[in-house]
Amino acid sequence: MKEITVEPLSRVEGEGGITIRLDGKKIKDVHFDIFEGTRLIETLVEGKTPQEDVSITCRICAICTLSHRYAALRGLEKALGIEVPPKAQQLRSLMHLGECLESNSLHVYVLALPDFLGYPSAIAMTEKYGDEVLKALSLKKFANHIMEVTSGRMIHGENPTVGGFGKYPENEVLLDIKKKAKEMLEFAEFGANLVGGLDIPDFFDAETTFMCCEPGDNTFGLVGDEIRISNGEVVPCEDYQKLTNEKFSAHSAAKHCTYKGKPFTVGALARMNNLGDRLKGTSGKLFKKYWNERWLKNPLYNNLAQAIEIVWALEQIPKIVDSIVKIKKDPELVQPTQDKGEGVGAVEAPRGTLYHHYKMKDGLVQKANFVIPTGQNLEDCEKYLRKAVEAMIKQDAKDEDMRFQCEVICRAYDPCISCSTHMVNLERE
Amino acid sequence: MDNKKLKVGLYGFTGCNGCQLTIIHTEDRLLEFFEATDIKSFSLAKSDNDDSELDIALVEGSICNQEQGSHLKDIRKRTKTLVAIGTCACYGGVQSMELGAKGWDKRLKKVYGDNNFSNRTPIESKPIDVFVDVDHYLPGCPINADQFFYFFANLLQENEPIFPDYPVCYECRLKENDCLLLKDILCLGPITAAGCGARCPSHNLPCMGCWGPMKEANFTSEFDLLKEKNFSIQEIKNRFRIFSGSATMKPLKKILGEL
Repeated sequence: MKEITVEPLSRVEGEGGITIRLDGKKIKDVHFDIFEGTRLIETLVEGKTPQEDVSITCRICAICTLSHRYAALRGLEKALGIEVPPKAQQLRSLMHLGECLESNSLHVYVLALPDFLGYPSAIAMTEKYGDEVLKALSLKKFANHIMEVTSGRMIHGENPTVGGFGKYPENEVLLDIKKKAKEMLEFAEFGANLVGGLDIPDFFDAETTFMCCEPGDNTFGLVGDEIRISNGEVVPCEDYQKLTNEKFSAHSAAKHCTYKGKPFTVGALARMNNLGDRLKGTSGKLFKKYWNERWLKNPLYNNLAQAIEIVWALEQIPKIVDSIVKIKKDPELVQPTQDKGEGVGAVEAPRGTLYHHYKMKDGLVQKANFVIPTGQNLEDCEKYLRKAVEAMIKQDAKDEDMRFQCEVICRAYDPCISCSTHMVNLERE
Repeated sequence: MDNKKLKVGLYGFTGCNGCQLTIIHTEDRLLEFFEATDIKSFSLAKSDNDDSELDIALVEGSICNQEQGSHLKDIRKRTKTLVAIGTCACYGGVQSMELGAKGWDKRLKKVYGDNNFSNRTPIESKPIDVFVDVDHYLPGCPINADQFFYFFANLLQENEPIFPDYPVCYECRLKENDCLLLKDILCLGPITAAGCGARCPSHNLPCMGCWGPMKEANFTSEFDLLKEKNFSIQEIKNRFRIFSGSATMKPLKKILGEL
C-alpha cells in the first residue's frame, strides 16, 4: 500500500490535507481531510442574545466574516420579525461586495495563481510579475477598505448588527469608494484576461450539479431567499437541509454534503454557470468571451469565475454607493416585533452558499444550525480528485505530479477550512 | 539568504485565521515583513515551508485536539521565543467559552453524533499556555496590525515589548464617545484590554470583550455596576464568557462564590 500525502495543504485558510491510498494501480481511497479542531459553534450560541450571536458566528471565519454575519442577520431578523430599511439593505450589499472582492482577489492572485505560473507563493512571483502582484494587492487593499468602512473593522467588524447598522459611513468616504472602484476596473479586466489565458487540463473533466442563491429579477447577485440548481429547480432556502444532506465523515471535522445522493458544486463557478448569462457590461463581455461547456465539468474554472466576479463587483459598487448616498437620513436600529420564531438566512459567501438557521425563544437563540460552503464542496472535490488520480495512474505519473495536481484541484475550490471547521496523503499497497 | 535575519514561523491552530490574515492584509508592510525576516513557515501564505529551528514562533488559534497539542510542543522545542497572537491563542477565544467539561462532551455529541474521528482526537478548546510556556501575549480578535508591527519591531531590536495596561474605556474617552454604560447598555469596556481603538463603542455598539481582560481589571466593580443596572447574573455570565474562557470566568465565579 502506498500513501501520498499533502499535509498541511498550504495557501488555504485553515488546517487540512489530502490523502491518496493506492493498491498497485488501484485507488483504495482519496480523501480531502479536514484537521481543523472542532469548535462546536452551533452550541456556543444557544441561550445568547441576537447581538452576541452575530459577534460569535462571524468568528467562524476571518475571510468570510461578513458572509457569516450577513447570513446570521438574515436568519435572526426573519425569526424576530425585523425588516431593515433600504439604506441598511444597500450598505449590507456594499459590505458583502467588499468581502467578495477581497476574498476573490486574495484567492485568485495570492493563493491560486502561483500554481499556474510555477511559484511557491505570490511573494516569490514578485520577481517576474512584480507589477501584477502589486496591483492585485492594491485591489485587495481597496476591498479591505470597503469592509472596514462598512463593518467598522477589516475583520470581525461589529457595525452591521441586528436591525441595521450601529453607525453609517460618511457620504464622502463612500463617494471615494465609488471613484476608486472605477479606477480598479482596468486591472481587474486585465487580471481576468490573464487568468482566462491559462491552460486548464481536461483529463478529469466530468459533469456535476451547481447550486447558488437566486437573486431574482434576472440579475446576478450574492443573496436570495431561493436556491437555484443547475437542473432548473428553484427551491426555497428554508429547504436547505434537503439540498445539502449533511453527513458525518470520519476523516473530516466538516460534514459532507450531497443532493439527491450526488455531489454538487457551490461558489463562483456555480454562480457563473447558473447566472452568468445575466451579466452586463465588462463582466458580461468577459463571461461571453470565456464561458464554454467545459465550465460545467472542471472545477479549475472557478479561478476564472472569481476573476470575472471581481469585475462584476467593481461594476456594482458605484451603483450601490449612489443608492446609499441619496438617502439622507440614517435610520435607527429596527427593533424585533416578536421574541419567538424561526428563520433561515442564505447568502453567497465567496466560496459558496452559506445557511444560518435559528429558532428563537424569549428573544434568545434556542437552536442554531449552520451549513457551510466548503462542507458542501468536499464530496464534489473528492470526486474530481479521484478522477484525476485515476487518469494519472494510467499515465504512470510521478507521485510528485499527482500530489501537485490534487493540491491545485483542492485549492481551486477556494476551500475555507476555518469555516468548514472543518489537504494530500498517497498510500500504495 | 542573509544569516543575520531572524528565523520566523507562523502557525495557525483552531480559530478563524483572522490574525494571520490581519498580517497578510497589510499588503505593503507584508512585503517588508518578508524582507526583514527569514520566514521558515507560513502555510497560509506560501507552500515552501519547513520545520527547522526558529528564533520566533508566532502562534494563532487555540488547541482543540491532542495532535495540535503535540505539534505545539514540537514548535516550542524548535523556537527561542514563542508568542501567542490573538485572543484564541492567549485565552482560548469563543470556542473556549467555559461551559463545563461535561457540557463539552454533550455538545460534541450534539454536533457530531456518536461518530468517531479517524484522524484527530478532539478535546475541549484550550489556550496554548495550557500546553507550553509562552513568552509574550498579543491579544485581539483579530490582532491589530499596528500593534503587531510595533510589537514585532521591538522583538527584532531585542527590546522588551510594551502593551497598553489600560482598558478600552481609555481609548473610548480619547475618541469622545458617549459612555454606553451610562445609557444602560451592557458594555465590557472597563475590564477589557485596550488596543482596538475602541472600535465598537465608536460605532455606538458595546465592547464585547474581544481583546481579553486588561491586566488588573476590576471585575468586581464591573459586576456591581451591571447588577445595579439590573442585568441578570445569566446575562452577565453570558457576556463575560464569550471571548476569554477562564480568564474572565474565574474572577466572575469568585465574585459569585461559585469557586
